[in-house]
Amino acid sequence: MKRMQKKILILGAGTSATMLANDLASKLHKEILNGEISVEVLAENIYHTFQPANLDVAFKGANPGDFVKSEISLLNARVEYVVDAASKISLESNKVTTVSGKEVNYDYLVIATGSVADPSLLEGLEESSLNFHTGPFNAHKIWTAINELKSGTVVISIAGVPHKCPPSPIEASFLLDEFLRRKNLRNDVKIILTTPYARPYSAEPISEVVEPRLKKKGIEIMTFFNVSRVDPQAKKVYSMEGDDVSYDLLIAIPPHRGAKAVIDSGIGGKYGWVPTERDTLQIKGFENAFAMGDATDIPVSKSGVVAHLESEVVSENIIALLRNTGKLVAYNGRINCPMEVGNRHGLFVSATYTSQTQKQTPSILKYVMKKAFGIAYWVVLSGKLNIIMSLYFGKTHYPKVEGEQQAPVS
Amino acid sequence: MDEHKVIDSRGSFCPGPLTDLYAAYKESKVGDVIDLLATDPAAKSDIEAWCKKSGNELVEAKEEQGYTRIIVRINTAPR
Repeated sequence: MKRMQKKILILGAGTSATMLANDLASKLHKEILNGEISVEVLAENIYHTFQPANLDVAFKGANPGDFVKSEISLLNARVEYVVDAASKISLESNKVTTVSGKEVNYDYLVIATGSVADPSLLEGLEESSLNFHTGPFNAHKIWTAINELKSGTVVISIAGVPHKCPPSPIEASFLLDEFLRRKNLRNDVKIILTTPYARPYSAEPISEVVEPRLKKKGIEIMTFFNVSRVDPQAKKVYSMEGDDVSYDLLIAIPPHRGAKAVIDSGIGGKYGWVPTERDTLQIKGFENAFAMGDATDIPVSKSGVVAHLESEVVSENIIALLRNTGKLVAYNGRINCPMEVGNRHGLFVSATYTSQTQKQTPSILKYVMKKAFGIAYWVVLSGKLNIIMSLYFGKTHYPKVEGEQQAPVS
Repeated sequence: MDEHKVIDSRGSFCPGPLTDLYAAYKESKVGDVIDLLATDPAAKSDIEAWCKKSGNELVEAKEEQGYTRIIVRINTAPR
């Protein structure tokens, strides 16, 4: 008797979704060829963007088109790719409804719908600010604007947390400073960075490294500044703590939310962060459904490295469930965010659930490594560099011990 | 009526506890009390500094079994 085909349905086509689909297509190739399993990706995007390059587009004038490829060209041929995003997810009935009205039943679901930087979430922000979080073509508008600057105040403002790529506001400050120095305009343009946190970078050991460098460059910092609204006429940003700052050019890190389909499905509350077990990455209360990457509510960075490492955990766990081995694995919360700190120096913000990031000396080598990751990105998505990446990251997941809780942070 | 919210930020490093506190503060009104449970050693000093800045009150930071209960009274509504 022919067995029923099992469907693994992946929602989204960003870093984690692409890596997971390719990994499953490779590890389950026999089952896929036999027709026992299908791996289907549902997403609205035809194109895939290398998002960290948005900084280079905004502050170095890189060509935005250079960091975009067609998603289909990045996926293993055994993956079914359907350009039709989910509009409703029903975890209880193992079913997804798409924007075109199609109903798709699944055996295993992965929500990898990412985060959306949404300036409309804050009064006055959309009409008053530019940003490098809503795609390379919007980032290019910053490049145009800073080339027209002659004097005044540029405010770089973290207008909502959590947001993608936590180091990016600091990097933007350094890169803008470098740009203005090259143009001999630094004495005429003030740079102010506003942050909701107690210090320039949220993690104290990293802040201790970047704060003196920011001061040396004359970049002003306003801490505990949670943006509450922007007045585009008065050109002022206001905080819920009662401060305000005037700007001539406002570069904002917009508030983020989960995907519309997630919010519309009543998953993850007002902002749509999927409630996710931080070890196995199963959606809370559902053995056969997972979330990964920016889409989750896990308290780790929303970043490409996390998306990459989480996709490995989800791949192993889906295969364990499919093969009924009972051998689930647990993610250790590893993050590894590269940060440019000016003068072609870089560092890596690295931590796990149980070990905090450490103070470190920025170096040219780390800057080069960051750039090398950027070049390798498209190949990493295919899984062809898995061995090298595993050697670099070390072990980032472990066999899940039933009933074991994550060790408390000490 | 004043609300008493409990926010569980245990197991997350900075900025997790502060981010959770901000989300709760946005939905708060004067007189509300927020209990934030944290294991991050930096949480208490960060929240104390934020309370000072924002016109709110850190009522108490109690050491409990493996975590700190940080009690914040909202004296100033978000502006």
